[in-house]
Amino acid sequence: MMEAKNSLQGQKVGAPDKALAASLTDATVRFGTFTAIDGLNLDIEEGAFYTILGPSGCGKSTMLRLVSDLIPAAAGDVSIFGKTTEQARLAREFAFVFQDATLLPWRSALKNVELPLEIGAKRGVDVPLGSRSPRELLELVGLKGREDALPHELSGGMRQRVAIARALVCQPKLLLMDEPFGALDEMTRDHLNLQLLDIWRETGTTILFVTHSIAEAVFLGQKVIMMRAHPGRLREVVDIDLPEPRTIKQRDQQEFTAYCGYLRDLLETC
Amino acid sequence: MAVAENITMPDLEAAERAEARRRKVVSTAVPLGTAAALILLWQLGVKLFGVPTYVAPAPSDVAVAFVEKFDILLMNFWPTLMESVAGFAVGNIVAILIAVAFVHSRHVTMAFFPIAVFINTIPILAIAPILVLIFGPGITAKVVIAALICFFPTLVNMVRGLQAISPQALELSRILSASKSEVFWKMRLPASLPFLFSALKISATTSVIGAIVGEWVGADLGLGALIIDATFNFNSPLLYATVFMSSGLSVLMFALVTLAEKLIVRW
Repeated sequence: MMEAKNSLQGQKVGAPDKALAASLTDATVRFGTFTAIDGLNLDIEEGAFYTILGPSGCGKSTMLRLVSDLIPAAAGDVSIFGKTTEQARLAREFAFVFQDATLLPWRSALKNVELPLEIGAKRGVDVPLGSRSPRELLELVGLKGREDALPHELSGGMRQRVAIARALVCQPKLLLMDEPFGALDEMTRDHLNLQLLDIWRETGTTILFVTHSIAEAVFLGQKVIMMRAHPGRLREVVDIDLPEPRTIKQRDQQEFTAYCGYLRDLLETC
Repeated sequence: MAVAENITMPDLEAAERAEARRRKVVSTAVPLGTAAALILLWQLGVKLFGVPTYVAPAPSDVAVAFVEKFDILLMNFWPTLMESVAGFAVGNIVAILIAVAFVHSRHVTMAFFPIAVFINTIPILAIAPILVLIFGPGITAKVVIAALICFFPTLVNMVRGLQAISPQALELSRILSASKSEVFWKMRLPASLPFLFSALKISATTSVIGAIVGEWVGADLGLGALIIDATFNFNSPLLYATVFMSSGLSVLMFALVTLAEKLIVRW
């Protein structure tokens, strides 16, 4: 499946096995004299679902902002599909989902999803059109019939689903998610986790998902990136070898809890 | 049991609706009744103590003046309305444009904000004669005074409104590689509208005050001129009727802005 996608997108023909969605080499981020991320080396394989865990202050969110060209690297190098982060941003190679849905409150759900298509359209920017229309994306995230609702008429979970639909509208090859379900109740969170896995399988996009829940990290991720704090560094990348597709039931099984236990112990040493 | 519930449920709903309607009637009847009672008290007081009409007219005298002099009132109403609306438009448009410049450039803010504050600290009554001297006794001076009184609240609110988008929304615009003008038209400007309308509601009523103050200083026509005229002629019923007309104008302006807000700011 992975190889089929590689040839489809023609990325990194030279790479024999797996193409890289993102690659960080000695990446360092400083805010003034404070070092938020120190010499991070990390390869993100294309098509995989990565979750990022770590104690607070480990630079999880900072790393997403580094990859998405929101903050510059003080040293080192970050490349996205072989391009610089700026080139990737201009080509809309990646999309970002924030902890807060960040919808424009005066726009309907549909109009919010259409926003990325409007930005740059009048300046002649070649905005990549996804294979799915904004309407179809709202249907994909289970909001068919609520297209005209304003954000304040939707629940927190629904707003976050609109934000996910908006992120998918330019068909990004890399989806960056910064604790997108952190503010939701557990039931909604479970539901959205399953929906996100469906979307991931269907679109084949690479996902980098920051969370502070160990269970969520294990449940969603094929790989868990564990980071350590002060300064932010990579601790370990843990492969989660659980049967696909993931189901809620798996959470009660011993394999799952074993991963959680391992990560919890790891977290304590970070 | 189930049958009994089916029968009582609609009754309960009907009772609830009746209760809601009753509460609504009460909430309008109480203030109206209070106002009517106060007017009645005023009428009785004036008549009972034999207060001369030029000191304080009875509500009935005011009502008579209102009906009999309605053509004069209306003749003086239109100029004030025009001055208020023109001043409202000019003052707010200038304030909005300057707010946009402030948000775009720190230097502009640094240079002009203290001046804007200084102008705001000058009492409008003190600056009105100066403006009449500059612009003459025509309509221009009144429009400028009305505009000046609208200017400051809108400037301050608009600057706040244009800065009211969240840091995450700005990050979103950066990830979408939005241009400065796209951020302005698609994010900052719509986000500022609730702030703008709070300011417009203030200036809807203050613009009328500005126009009337301008007419006090020098005018032959307008509600302000009529107020001065009626006072000097000890025509208290006409004075009171003019005051009610002025407040009616303010209420009209306020209602129009509120209606526009309801139609535009739906979130």
